Amino acid sequence: MNNYHFKIFFISILISILGIFTIYSVRYPSNVLIPFPLYIRQIIWISLGLVLCWIIYKWDVRKLWDIAYFLYIITLVLLILVDILGYVRLGAQRWLRILWLNFQPSELAKLSIIVILARYFSHISVKEIRREANFIKSIFIPFLLIIVPMFLILQQPDLGTALMLFFIYVSLVYFAGIKRRYLLIFFLFLICLSPLLWVFLKDYQKERLLVFINPDKDPLGAGYTVTQSKITVGSGRLFGKGWLGGTQGQLRFLPEAHTDFIFASFSEEWGFLGSIFLIGLYYLFIFYGLKIAEHTEERFKQLLALGIVSMFFIQIFINISMTLGIAPVVGLPLVFFSYGGSSVVISFLSVGILMSINKRR
Amino acid sequence: MFKRKVFLITGLVFLVLVLRIFYLQIIHGKRFFQLSRANSIRILPLRGARGRILDRNGNILVDNSYSYELMVYPQNIENLEDFLKKLSSILGVSFLELKSRIQNKLNSFLPISLIKELDKEKAIILEELKFKFPAITIQLVPKRNYPFSRLASHILGYLSSIDWWRLKRWQDYGYSASDTVGYGGLEERYDYYLRAKDGGLQLEVDNRGRPRRILGFKPPRNGKDLYTTIDLRVQKIVEEVLDDYSGAVVIMDPYTGEIIAMASFPNFSPSELSFNQSILKKMLSDSNAPLVNRAISGLYPPGSVFKPVVATAGLCEQRMDTKTSFFCDGSLKIGNRQFSCWDKHGYQDVKEAITHSCDVFFYKLGLSLGAEKLNEYALKFGLGKVTHIDLPEEKAGLVPHPILRKLNRRIPWFDGDTANFSIGQGDLLATPLQIVRMISVFANKGNLVRPYLVKSIGERDISARQRNILPLGIEDRILNIIHNSMKKVVEDDTGTAHILYLSGVSIAGKTGTAQVNRKQSHAWFTGYFPVENPRYSICVILEYGGSSSNACWVAKRIIEKMKEESLI
Repeated sequence: MNNYHFKIFFISILISILGIFTIYSVRYPSNVLIPFPLYIRQIIWISLGLVLCWIIYKWDVRKLWDIAYFLYIITLVLLILVDILGYVRLGAQRWLRILWLNFQPSELAKLSIIVILARYFSHISVKEIRREANFIKSIFIPFLLIIVPMFLILQQPDLGTALMLFFIYVSLVYFAGIKRRYLLIFFLFLICLSPLLWVFLKDYQKERLLVFINPDKDPLGAGYTVTQSKITVGSGRLFGKGWLGGTQGQLRFLPEAHTDFIFASFSEEWGFLGSIFLIGLYYLFIFYGLKIAEHTEERFKQLLALGIVSMFFIQIFINISMTLGIAPVVGLPLVFFSYGGSSVVISFLSVGILMSINKRR
Repeated sequence: MFKRKVFLITGLVFLVLVLRIFYLQIIHGKRFFQLSRANSIRILPLRGARGRILDRNGNILVDNSYSYELMVYPQNIENLEDFLKKLSSILGVSFLELKSRIQNKLNSFLPISLIKELDKEKAIILEELKFKFPAITIQLVPKRNYPFSRLASHILGYLSSIDWWRLKRWQDYGYSASDTVGYGGLEERYDYYLRAKDGGLQLEVDNRGRPRRILGFKPPRNGKDLYTTIDLRVQKIVEEVLDDYSGAVVIMDPYTGEIIAMASFPNFSPSELSFNQSILKKMLSDSNAPLVNRAISGLYPPGSVFKPVVATAGLCEQRMDTKTSFFCDGSLKIGNRQFSCWDKHGYQDVKEAITHSCDVFFYKLGLSLGAEKLNEYALKFGLGKVTHIDLPEEKAGLVPHPILRKLNRRIPWFDGDTANFSIGQGDLLATPLQIVRMISVFANKGNLVRPYLVKSIGERDISARQRNILPLGIEDRILNIIHNSMKKVVEDDTGTAHILYLSGVSIAGKTGTAQVNRKQSHAWFTGYFPVENPRYSICVILEYGGSSSNACWVAKRIIEKMKEESLI
């Protein structure tokens, strides 16, 4: 009996606590003036996430198999609902208001895609996929499954999460054990497709000026943000400026300092040592997640675990590397760390699933 | 085994991140640190201008003027005493006062605002001092400018700092605690579009505080202009006429729901009210409620103005036809109470009853219809629910229903209540805007329109989205009967609004004198003109204005002046 599941649980809580401190610091001192400051909201979200995590952990994860399609449909309905409500409110809208908190269905979409793809691929055994399954069965049909939610999310517009769905799909296709030849063909196909995507992207940015979305986001293009982000990270040096000592984030010259660029705010205050520590925590989290997948025999559960771990891994990597100026800026939160209710809740839900998978080995 | 490969790849990827951080923080750390240090970075805020609000012909209702603001970079001050003494002699503000404004902020990179509104001359003198004192910065700051002072104040609203309640709700839309937002009117409803986005320059400076290069630039973004449906000329006429009264006037295009003019008195001056908590407090406690837009938030019993709706109900439900007459001998006994009419009318058919506003006719008609039918038709004509005009604080009013009354207040419903309901009294309450929309149904041949004020935001035409025209499915024949009766209200010598006949414009309408407990009645007039192809529908209410003829006088003067300026 191993205790990987407790390890990832505690690591995720530890990261979340660091996140709360960083959010507090970034919004300091205007925190004092705001009636319902963000760090308090974040604490509420984390608590909610922990409760859900624990419920899922106690639950039988096999039931996810049964509800996979149901979950998928629900996700689609919510995504469409966001589009409709967004339209009514004269512009783009990513959130649905549930009670007094905003919920972002695109976050849920990542999880439901993992579940449904895990179910789909677990139908086909490794042998089958290697020997008999053709291109359509192993690549095209699952692609159809993700294309609709991906399109809906792009509409919102939320490029980051749409890309996430795609990467999750790619990694699950890989882990399902597909023929290398198909994978190669597929990547070639993607490379051919990428200029098309670029054209589409430019249009979307024009659209962005017309439609109102988060106005804080990137007023002068990614270049400005990345410069600011690099100054922020770099100025932390070895030991950092200390908690509440950061200046770039607090002065609001780093955009999204409490959400997408929170890693920069953290490393400004905690320096190289702090950053290494945080990255180490993330590495351990991914490591134990993979261990859980390795020790799982059931194919559905294994694919589920691998899907979740890939989701975390890709998101962590994209977020941190865009902060460090080595990846293009797409709006993605840093899991457990960034401010954002839906992201926190879905992340903890996913941790719950991972834990549950390990528990019933 | 692929798993070992996976572990290896993840490990390598994390190593890449670590190396990059090492590169940024350790290898180039010194440079970035210097860049971020307080004494080498200055931030110069640049203010954007709030969007303008214009009338339907592009005339300005609100725009911005610029004032000079004196700001000081504390990091650049070499000798605080000298500096402040010099400033104090130029500005005429005491040394201690200046010192107290600057005191606790000496470590800020952001400039401190010392004087918000500076004269031009002083601004020039200070600008010249800049060489000696690099700390000084003079900035142009946009400020709201109301060319017609109190005109359309309720439509426009005013500005103030964001409050707790709004901040809580709007945080997710990028609002922060230091923001200015609109209160009331279009400023509030369209704040998201009107608001400017402040930008700024992030400069790297040398040890003397001179800018060396620009590190970051966030351009300020002006707010979007609002093009409204208001006609400035009509609005001016309306406000001139209504000035001495307490009440409201709404003029609307009956086909589209475009609001041409909307006035409510007493009103206020947005420029005095903005950012001025003491005047605001005074106004909030004023018993005349100058901040309330009576056109959309004032609830009044409609009185006889409601009768055309009752007559329509009677004709639609076939409780009568044009030949049916009821006898009026000055009062009607219902239960054990006498319900009186304002005159003895004798035999009255529907046309006469509307022309003379005979109460007894409508008591009898109302009783034969029953309270449920009255309720149904009142709701059909848009009473009892908000019109969804694009202004905040709109009230829904109340359409009574016997069952709801029993449920809510546990008071039984009597026939007397039905009688009161049928002449627009009792529990029935409506806003002037609802009344103008109700009467427009007869002007536009059976459509309930959604009134609106803004036709485009910036370059974007939103008229199509704003318009909402709901056909009520009432026969043309019936609408024509009511229409002709309301023509007679003005044309006939005995019509209740005959005064308006002299205005020289053909008008159809209905008067109302709504009784209020122990106070003077509210005076109503509502109608539309010209009779053939109506361009305007109008509603006038004078709060505690006495007889309805007072409202007719107001309407008459408005219409006459509109004719003089050949607006009709």
